Amino acid sequence: MTIARLASALLAACALSSAAQAEVTVLGWPGGPEESALREAANAYNAKGDVAEADKVELIFFNRDGFWDKLQTDLAAGSGEFDLNLLATYAIGRYAPFMEPVMLPDTAPQVFGEKVLTTMQFDGAQYGVPTDLSLHFMYFRKDLIDQLLSDPAWQERYKEISAEKLGQAMTPVRPDQWTWNDYQATTLFFTKSVNPDSPTRYGTVLQMKNLLFNIMVWHSTVRSNGGDWMDEEGNITVDSAAFREGLELYKNLYDEGTTPKDSLTYEFAEANAAFGSGQVATMLQWNAAFPDLNDPAKAPTVAGKIGTVAPPAGEAGRFTHIHGLGLGLNKAAQNKEGAVKFLNWLATAEAMQVYAKAGGAPALTAQALQPIAEQRPDLAQLGDYAGQYGFVMNGGASAKALSVYELQAEQFTGYWAGQKSLDEALAATAEGMAGLLKK
Amino acid sequence: MQCALARDGRILVAPLTIFLLAMLGLPLVVDLIYSVSAVEFATILSPEFVGLANYASALSSESFWRAAWFSLRFGLLCATAQVLIGLFLAIFLEPLLARRPWLMAFLMLPMMVAPALVGLMYRLVLHEFVGVVPWFMFTYVGDSPSFLGPDNAFKTLVVVEVLQWTPFALLILYSAYVSIPADVREAAAIDGAGTWRRLVSIDLPLMGPAIGATFFIRFIDSFRVFDNVYTLTGAGAGGSTATMSIWVYEAFFKSGDIGRAVAASMLLLAASWLVLSVVHRLSQRRAGASA
Repeated sequence: MTIARLASALLAACALSSAAQAEVTVLGWPGGPEESALREAANAYNAKGDVAEADKVELIFFNRDGFWDKLQTDLAAGSGEFDLNLLATYAIGRYAPFMEPVMLPDTAPQVFGEKVLTTMQFDGAQYGVPTDLSLHFMYFRKDLIDQLLSDPAWQERYKEISAEKLGQAMTPVRPDQWTWNDYQATTLFFTKSVNPDSPTRYGTVLQMKNLLFNIMVWHSTVRSNGGDWMDEEGNITVDSAAFREGLELYKNLYDEGTTPKDSLTYEFAEANAAFGSGQVATMLQWNAAFPDLNDPAKAPTVAGKIGTVAPPAGEAGRFTHIHGLGLGLNKAAQNKEGAVKFLNWLATAEAMQVYAKAGGAPALTAQALQPIAEQRPDLAQLGDYAGQYGFVMNGGASAKALSVYELQAEQFTGYWAGQKSLDEALAATAEGMAGLLKK
Repeated sequence: MQCALARDGRILVAPLTIFLLAMLGLPLVVDLIYSVSAVEFATILSPEFVGLANYASALSSESFWRAAWFSLRFGLLCATAQVLIGLFLAIFLEPLLARRPWLMAFLMLPMMVAPALVGLMYRLVLHEFVGVVPWFMFTYVGDSPSFLGPDNAFKTLVVVEVLQWTPFALLILYSAYVSIPADVREAAAIDGAGTWRRLVSIDLPLMGPAIGATFFIRFIDSFRVFDNVYTLTGAGAGGSTATMSIWVYEAFFKSGDIGRAVAASMLLLAASWLVLSVVHRLSQRRAGASA
């Protein structure tokens, strides 16, 4: 009797296992708007009449912590537990050997635009569908900046502080016209230790933790002054005026106390908590922070008072790092045919509109965005900024891009913390990058 | 008969031997191969022999030695503090715990929380804008230090580790303390030994092996710390709070430098074996002396 029960259980398990294999399994980005959006999109796809039972989509999510490391281990081990997996511009070169290029429908450029499609390309091949785009906004408190732009007493004080700290008497300008100097002067003005009358404790909050994503945020300072990782010949160009200016800017802001003392341990969440407290006037931050900061239930002190513009301008103009998140095809996928069908559907305007309505942040062309423009006005700004100011560093999608970010994070945070000189940090970065990015 | 006994013995030992070979021996062999190879995730099945280059690279790396120094200082300081505080609490609380033994369960609570959660908890508690500690500091002192900044990160990490793991030391040392026969202390008291004299001449010598074992276990645990440090400060600004475990993890996953990471872990294994040999020899000598 027991043996018969055991045999039945085993048969049932085998049947379940083969059913699972017949589905399209998708490993998504867990725990944020991307997860909710992907769930809605998968539901919409599964509800379509022409999707075979064997091609229904099943989603898998695990923790964000160490996500890329776990994914790398799974892919390298040839795991077939998922057919489609998350992909990011900065990690595409690392995962490309374990993935298969895909051929998207001819209509994909009309949905995303060519520039956005390139965020999922490596060595000229398309590796995924770009479902979300990340870039940076300069967040600022509209109420405070409005007063600064209209109050003569504040403007006089602003002039005094900029003359004393930056060596030039400056006049406040609108945030969309800020240079890095204007940003610096504004942060000094709104820092209580510099200006005791400041309504906020700090002028800004910088994310300076030894973490690769923080270097992406900081890169806007470099690119706006014409900096890049490499030149056309592949020579490392980090020991340049642009890198020096960007590094010194952060160091000055930290040393002047315009950002919280613990900024060297801050990342996305800590910076949002600081800005959300109402004690910080400006913040260079990922676009994904906006919905929560502008939600009166989550950030009652600042909701409704936040303005966003592109990061300040340098000599070369105004720039923001961009990268895409998307879904691509695992080389060891067990249901490749079904997976490609889902990817092709995902690359349509219909799918992206479902995805966007559920909270995702795809960068869409005006034509594809039009039916949902009223529900998601922020996506128009996202697409607009990506097209106007977006950049990817030369080598930023290479197989070693993540390691380069890690290297810069370690060296540059060492400089900001005062553990090494600027020359030492740049020399070590250049040497490490030469090894990582050599052809 | 003798032959049958030997055969039975081999059969009984076989499962454990196979288990150990599969779970420890095989990974060790793979690690040895990777430690002398140029290998990345893309070439994980086709490592290229490079001799001792990975060992040389790890040993000549400034960050490796900085992480080793950090771990050593962290391990020694935490183990010392935990043993001293645990010893004090074991003796000081003994009368109370003898009457209310259930209190020990409460004292053990910090140890039952996952270290990664402890790290996250303190990240919140010490955050300038949402944390309880900075709030009190700003309210009553007017300013709050940078608990996790470059100047204070090491001290904060030590305090967090000590707060979480002192209960472990307390548990072992309390057990050792109460297991000392009461008549030994009574005899010493009759002979005129005071409280301090009894502590120094009776209690501490009899608790010596337990104190040594506790120190050793806590040192190993603190030396190889990963979770709470990683969630609190990561590798720290410029790698200033990278422990050996974090160094190996980052070399392996973040830099994809598998050969170097594995070589470093093999060096750690060799160092651990050396320390264990010394401790083993010392304990054997002590056992010989007592016999």
